[in-house]
Amino acid sequence: MPAASFDAIVVGAGPAGTSAALGLARKGARVLLLERGEYPGAKNMFGGMMVYSPVPEQLVPGFWAVAPWERAVTRRVLSVVGEGSSTSMVFQAASGSEQPSAGAGSTSDRTLTAFTMFRPLFDRWYAEQAVAGGVTLLTGCRAEGLVVRDGAVRGVRVTGIDDTVEAPLVIACDGVLSLLAKDAGLHEGFKPEQVALGVRALYTCTEEEIDERFGLSGREGATQEFLGCTEGVRGGGFLYTQTETLSVGLVVHLDSLTERRIPPYELMERFVASTPVAPLLRGTRLVEYSAHLLPEAGRRMVPRLSMAGLLVAGDAAGFCYTNGLTQEGMNLAMTSGLLAAERAAGALSDGDLSAQRLARYAEDLKDSPVLRDLKTWSRAIDFMHEDRLFTVYPRLVSRLMEDLYRSDGRSKQRIGRLGRRAIKDEVSLRRLITDLYRGGRGYL
Amino acid sequence: MIVDDLFDLVSYRIHPEAHIVVARPELCRECPHRACTFSCPARCYTWSEDRDRVDFAYEACLECGTCLLVCDREALDWHYPPGGYGVRYRLT
Repeated sequence: MPAASFDAIVVGAGPAGTSAALGLARKGARVLLLERGEYPGAKNMFGGMMVYSPVPEQLVPGFWAVAPWERAVTRRVLSVVGEGSSTSMVFQAASGSEQPSAGAGSTSDRTLTAFTMFRPLFDRWYAEQAVAGGVTLLTGCRAEGLVVRDGAVRGVRVTGIDDTVEAPLVIACDGVLSLLAKDAGLHEGFKPEQVALGVRALYTCTEEEIDERFGLSGREGATQEFLGCTEGVRGGGFLYTQTETLSVGLVVHLDSLTERRIPPYELMERFVASTPVAPLLRGTRLVEYSAHLLPEAGRRMVPRLSMAGLLVAGDAAGFCYTNGLTQEGMNLAMTSGLLAAERAAGALSDGDLSAQRLARYAEDLKDSPVLRDLKTWSRAIDFMHEDRLFTVYPRLVSRLMEDLYRSDGRSKQRIGRLGRRAIKDEVSLRRLITDLYRGGRGYL
Repeated sequence: MIVDDLFDLVSYRIHPEAHIVVARPELCRECPHRACTFSCPARCYTWSEDRDRVDFAYEACLECGTCLLVCDREALDWHYPPGGYGVRYRLT
């Protein structure tokens, strides 16, 4: 491969990398996109949803009308699971919000919608858009490390084409392990307390069964999150509806999992058999199992985002979070990929790929929803690392609701008294107030 | 669902050489937690009393990186599988 035949090399054909590559190609740059899988998406087990974002529409006109998403989520359920019962909150968007394009006079509001996806399909399609936009895609290429000369990144060492590939700029979108940024010294490797392990089981049934079971029509979808189902491990359960499959699994903090010493597949086995989950899977067939890590520590884990000749985007930059209510990652990956492309295009056309020039990328991110949202939710993200949120409090909610609904012939009591009884032996009032205060500071 | 069924459902293109190697097994002997043996979601790591070391079955690896992060002894030589090899997730 002739040296300097590319202006930029993007590593990883996920949402960040493909957005970065396509963004650069749209500005006229010659871009090489490297993917270690047989095809983009081959390594992706994402069983979730991407919240609506206008960002990909800048790269692919009419993106949401043509992208291969599965269902548009209009119904979101959050369930708190106790020993003898579970309590749920249901958000239901008005019908019509699942329409991919809001036409004139339409009442649909897709900003309320999130889209479930099969990433092997989606990533492949998205990378095809990049190739159509002029990007050179090489699959089956594992990036080994960076070529660094005179303190500047000059290319990538690759297995699969037995060579190094050089270019003035590299954009590392190599996912949650972020091995290239680590190789460059931008961070020292993510730690167990900064990531969560997601395990997923995929079940098939028919489209009609899913519609009926979750009260859906057309391409509407539903999701359910479960709190208190992880046997004391910090984390939660999830269920996402695809067209004719269900993704069911757990996301657990890795440090908490190793403290509790429970194998993730055993947690999973009990979760899918549990009272709130088992009925949703009745009559379905298990077809696949998968696992992946997710960045989970918010802005605390964000590495240095650039150096001479290098930018970092997507999961590799730690851009993924949950505050317990919303889960965002793909949209942040695409936004950061596009911002990297825009900053890179300017730097390339000026021939200035210095550390100083590329450092403006971090400034762009600070002004964008990516780092703003991580900042907004920083306390809530920290609060997600509080054990009681996954143990004591789900039990308390269940006990309180059970007492509220219980009819045993005895006279009723007001909620305050029931609550005091519920917290007895579980948590001190002082602790409860401290946690409420922390939660309040995180969310309010 | 039975745990063993889970692992049979995953599709791979297996490379003849292991991409992760327990390169310094003597470090595992003194490891107080051996977290790899229970946190790996694919059950690839097992403690072998006979061999007095951690064994790793790379063929079933899901390439998640859990072992890389939980191994605080740096006993592993860790790589993704060569390009095009390893786990491959289904399209539908």
